[in-house]
Amino acid sequence: MIIVAIIAIAVLIFGIGIYNSLIGKKNQVANAFSAIDVMLKKRFDLLPNLVETVKQYMQYEGDTLTKITELRGKAMGNSVSEGEKLALDTQIGTAVKGLMVSVENYPDLKANQNFLNLQSTWTESEEQIAAARRNYNSSVTSYNNAVMMFPGNMFAGMLGYQTMPVLETAEVERANISAKNLFNN
Amino acid sequence: MDTDFKVSPAIENVIAELEIQRKKIAASKFQGWGAILLGAFAAFLVFSAGQPVIALIVGAAFIVLGMVILYRISDDIAQYKYRFKQEVIGASLNTLNQSITFNHNDGIAESEFVGSQLFTRRPDRYHTEDLISGKDEKTTFYFAEVHAEYKTETQTKNGRQVHWHDILKGIIFTADFNKNFNGVTVVRPKDFGSSIGAWFSKNLFSFGDKDLIQLENEYFNKNFVTYGTDQIEARYILTPAMMDSISELNERSAYCVSLSFINSSVYIAFPLAHNYFEAPVFKTLLRPDLLKEDMNILGFMLLIIRELDLNTRIWTK
Repeated sequence: MIIVAIIAIAVLIFGIGIYNSLIGKKNQVANAFSAIDVMLKKRFDLLPNLVETVKQYMQYEGDTLTKITELRGKAMGNSVSEGEKLALDTQIGTAVKGLMVSVENYPDLKANQNFLNLQSTWTESEEQIAAARRNYNSSVTSYNNAVMMFPGNMFAGMLGYQTMPVLETAEVERANISAKNLFNN
Repeated sequence: MDTDFKVSPAIENVIAELEIQRKKIAASKFQGWGAILLGAFAAFLVFSAGQPVIALIVGAAFIVLGMVILYRISDDIAQYKYRFKQEVIGASLNTLNQSITFNHNDGIAESEFVGSQLFTRRPDRYHTEDLISGKDEKTTFYFAEVHAEYKTETQTKNGRQVHWHDILKGIIFTADFNKNFNGVTVVRPKDFGSSIGAWFSKNLFSFGDKDLIQLENEYFNKNFVTYGTDQIEARYILTPAMMDSISELNERSAYCVSLSFINSSVYIAFPLAHNYFEAPVFKTLLRPDLLKEDMNILGFMLLIIRELDLNTRIWTK
């Protein structure tokens, strides 16, 4: 009788542990996503400053600057979904990358301290977002494993938990950051 | 790693002078220890022949003679070692990198060793020496030899017995890191205990190892366990490129390295069997590979900065 009670208590504790772990992992995914959101906001906040600084020097990049401003406007809108926000961020990233390459043609801008600071901050935000996305993917993988593997899958079924997709790694995150490619000065 | 290094004529002259001093020291040491051994042996023979008093007198005379000889050369040895470290090692290190300063009496403070969080155990006995500091392009660095140990006690028939165990016998290298961060990220070799903890955290319960960082690099996960106070910051530091570089560095090291990223710096612990920057007494100084290992270790430390790309300063720091 005592042995049966001990086994029952052990199974109960084990079950509570698995259940809590599953909930914890799901919350971790939500938390990881909100971290990306915070990073994106920080990055979008940089853009007006960047556009304003380069506008004074770059006479021939008006289209790119307008495009960046428009994309930012869309990304900051209330109706935009999280997925769309990430897609817009990728487009902004590509546009800014193009802009940074064009800087080569504007020696005065290349020497501007304010621009150099903005450029460093931009690079930093890029790596921070990459880190936040990797963290999100790690949280999703951990959650998906818990949902799909025994014994977590039993509880996941009861709770209606389903697997989640991981974020695709953007090209910029796969590539190594290179000072040469970024600055060329 | 072999460093391309040639001894300058000035250093060659110092080595030639020191070789004369070394020979004298080696001969005196040989005589001193010879007298002590001879005394012990003679005492044993006379004692075996049934003359304990004479054995004591003969043994003591030789042993005292040996000790006097050894005592008389102790200052010479200290001076020889000092000159070797300053005028040969220090000067040679400067030929590889002019910014380098070498201080054989200094090292990494115990508080810094503990603060680096490279190891979970606090040392009970700590020794450090041979501090080398300098700057490679934009990155300041320093490293020193460290021997940190902890003790355990066992109860035996004859009372308590103390056992000393190594936490680290090797080199601690630290450099200014090129990114800003506020938290702590630690990369430690994977041992049995941490593997079990990581497996549980990954596959079953997530309580316990809250600070565990699950990274994507397969080699990295196989060889290291990573802990951090901030999941995103740890990944900001340990980018895919950085993990590849650490893996590469680990492959080049004889034993598995440990790393910590703390207070805007990176700390790396290299366990090593060899004691570097020491003056030989019974081996000649006039051999071509005299400084090879010492220079190679410096070359290796400078390689870390390149390998981890610490001179790339494109972030806001």
